[in-house]
Amino acid sequence: MTTDGSTTVYESAVTQVGGQVAAFLDHGLLIFFGAGSPAELHDMSVLHEASIVDDGPRPGDTVHVGATALEVLAVGDVVRDNLINLGHLDLKADGRTDANLPGDVCVRVGELPLLTVGDTFRITRPDQQARRQT
Amino acid sequence: MSDYKSVQVNKGRGGWGGPLTITPSTDRPLIASITGGGIHPVAQRIADLTGGEAFDGFKSSAPFDKIAVAVIDCGGTARVGVYPMKKVKTVDVHATSPAGPLAQFITEELFVSGVKPEDVQEA
Repeated sequence: MTTDGSTTVYESAVTQVGGQVAAFLDHGLLIFFGAGSPAELHDMSVLHEASIVDDGPRPGDTVHVGATALEVLAVGDVVRDNLINLGHLDLKADGRTDANLPGDVCVRVGELPLLTVGDTFRITRPDQQARRQT
Repeated sequence: MSDYKSVQVNKGRGGWGGPLTITPSTDRPLIASITGGGIHPVAQRIADLTGGEAFDGFKSSAPFDKIAVAVIDCGGTARVGVYPMKKVKTVDVHATSPAGPLAQFITEELFVSGVKPEDVQEA
């Protein structure tokens, strides 16, 4: 899907928000898992059902968490497999430009939003043409 | 009826923790593979050597107290802590060290990482 000079590589809808999610936000951490993940992971996770699964995030992409848009600064080595296979992603507001852990997706330091059921989680990538013009 | 054997799981290159001795029992027969794409080869090897039952945690759900060991492919934050927090022995196929909000629960007695099939040996 292409709109406004960027392509959506991943899109999903939030189906459940675990009881510990708000506490983890205080640590700058937002954890996603696919809706089919084991029950023991639900408390700490935002569960979601994906409708577009083309790729995982890359640095320079934008992660849209509800109404909040965050530039991806760094991506660990296992992020893509985790997201595509399990719907799993660890979003960290740590401002790092090299991922500390292999599962990390790093964005700027600051608040992460508490999602609610029905919110959208989306990853968009600037189109090559748009990138060349800038 | 059940004749379970023990295996020792050693940390792999760059890994942390362990070694863990895994012995399934009638009460805890499951070798849970909490990984993408079916039963991970490490979980399959533990099941083959011990006589435990390989189990795909993303296909169906099992209570913690039935799990002899959880095999994960965690990138360092979430799954590394959830199973140790419940005192379930945990094997991460990635070479992670204790981190994340649940790091306090990750101990050498419960957790080993960087594990490949050849790091699982008959005990």
